[in-house]
Amino acid sequence: MPAPVWQTQPELTTETMKSLTISDVTLTFGGINALSNVTITIEPGLITSIIGPNGAGKTSLLNCISGFYHPTSGKIMYGNKQLTHSSPHQVTKLGISRAFQNLELFSGLSVVDNLMLARHTNLKYNFFQAMIYVGKASRIEAENRAYVEEIIDFMELEPYRNSIVGNLAYGIQKRVEVARALTLNPQLLLLDEPMAGMNIEEKEDVVRFIMDIKKERNTTVILVEHDLGVVMDISDRINVLDFGEVIGSGTPEEVASNPKVIEAYIGED
Amino acid sequence: MSTNRWLATGNYFTSYKDEQRIFITHLDRTFFSIFISLLFIWPLLFKLSNKYMLVIDNILIAIVAIIGLNIVTGFAGLISIGHAAFMGVGAYTVASFARTLGDSHVIITHAWPLLILLSGLTGAVFGAIVGLPAMRLKHLYLAMATLSFQMIFTWTINFLEFFNQGQTIAISNVFWFTGKLGRKDHYFFWYYVLLVVVILSGFMVRNLLRTRYGRCLGAVRDNDRAADAMGIHPGLTKVYAFGLAGFFAGIAGALHAYVYRGVGFESFTLHHSITYLAMAIVGGLGTLHGSFWGPIAIMTLELQMESFAEYAGRILPSDWNLATALKPLSFGLVIVLFLMFEPRGIANWWRIARSYTKLWPFRY
Repeated sequence: MPAPVWQTQPELTTETMKSLTISDVTLTFGGINALSNVTITIEPGLITSIIGPNGAGKTSLLNCISGFYHPTSGKIMYGNKQLTHSSPHQVTKLGISRAFQNLELFSGLSVVDNLMLARHTNLKYNFFQAMIYVGKASRIEAENRAYVEEIIDFMELEPYRNSIVGNLAYGIQKRVEVARALTLNPQLLLLDEPMAGMNIEEKEDVVRFIMDIKKERNTTVILVEHDLGVVMDISDRINVLDFGEVIGSGTPEEVASNPKVIEAYIGED
Repeated sequence: MSTNRWLATGNYFTSYKDEQRIFITHLDRTFFSIFISLLFIWPLLFKLSNKYMLVIDNILIAIVAIIGLNIVTGFAGLISIGHAAFMGVGAYTVASFARTLGDSHVIITHAWPLLILLSGLTGAVFGAIVGLPAMRLKHLYLAMATLSFQMIFTWTINFLEFFNQGQTIAISNVFWFTGKLGRKDHYFFWYYVLLVVVILSGFMVRNLLRTRYGRCLGAVRDNDRAADAMGIHPGLTKVYAFGLAGFFAGIAGALHAYVYRGVGFESFTLHHSITYLAMAIVGGLGTLHGSFWGPIAIMTLELQMESFAEYAGRILPSDWNLATALKPLSFGLVIVLFLMFEPRGIANWWRIARSYTKLWPFRY
């Protein structure tokens, strides 16, 4: 019996994890600055939150990191690899994965198939082996299916394994979205409002999952979230964006006492 | 695994390899094997006339083509209105050998399995080239791009002297181990060849669908942005889907050329492309067995309508001209009814029927 896939992969330790450096990034859409001169360093092994009012450029920043947008100027470095002009599938191969804000699941496929798609680049057999199936393709599929099962177990999705994703409840779909990002076995996980539209119990679940992801899987998490209570509680670092500019960053305590942040959120007195 | 692998209704898998099986119970597998053997045996028991054997050959050719069309339109969600043209590419690959080497050259008469495979590969190359716009275009715009290939194909064939300007290019009878095939055995022989091709294609696609090469198709259909984030190149996946569809179309085209012992452009027109699309819809888009139901249903309907029109033509006044109108009318009606009442096609009826019989007779 060969060792399961998740055990053959190198153990992710804080030393091997790379930091993400966003330096001087500007993103312009026809005269509107979605992001201007954003400089943020994401340290490995921590939960870093990006907060800000609506339209502050949080999702634009995530899109720049994950390759859906390319910054007009500036540089994004992951370790010593440059991401500035990479497309999403190249970014994914570097170990950065993302859960989308609005559900972007493969709604016609089952939960297992959705997660198996996240193993796509790990399924190393060729077309002809796939055609014959018996042998290598079957073995690798089974190994990766076991890996997927581990994630299903981690995200507590067992009852929905074979359900078509499009028919599941919203809260569950959100969880599948996070599970799928996790199945890519990322070192850096981008979560775009994983708690939007959830009730308090579902939110508690997701918070627990995020804490577990950090602790058990040694994954760096970038969290974009509107619920300030959650953000203040679980984040190690917080960056505040307003109108595309970073107006404050640091630990939750530092940010909470930053006058510019208070001004942006509460307004001038 | 459960103690009873014949009638198990629930999920009793104990390993992930168990879960990969095509046939969950022994009963399914046995029924399927019996069905396949019956397909091989029946022509030996009932001698069918050439006319009906040709209809069955036609259905099998269409099944091969629809398997391809279902990959690109059903699984990858890219509408292709040029599928008959891809079949034409396959058929004209055989025809160009006949034109350059003569219609009874040894390559055509003896190496026909290789030539059919080559036609499939040519179809795949053309499919991939025509699929290139899919890297940028989506939905109806992409459909237009495939439609333009259909137009270019018809034009090219009609205007090139090399292709006999669309007139029939003869292909001679092939040789089997028993010698040259006679006229009488022709359709009978090709029935077996087609049956083998259909079974191989079916299993090939079934296998692909449970691996990364099949799943990526569903991914670009449902959400190509997310597919990109999963490390799947959406553009190349679409080109691959077109290539694979072109492969099956090419094989179907070459088989068509051999069965009809000739290639003419009128078998690969826009009308045929739309008929194939209709077969895929009636069968059930995005399901493998839909590719079998569709051609069977539409071609049987055509056959029935033909004989009904013949009958009606005799008793109705001759100036009503019902006979010519009946075929397109019934064809159109069937498509409209399916789109309205069963957009998931006959495959859905099959699914419902199976779920009804799942708990019967008193399984556990």
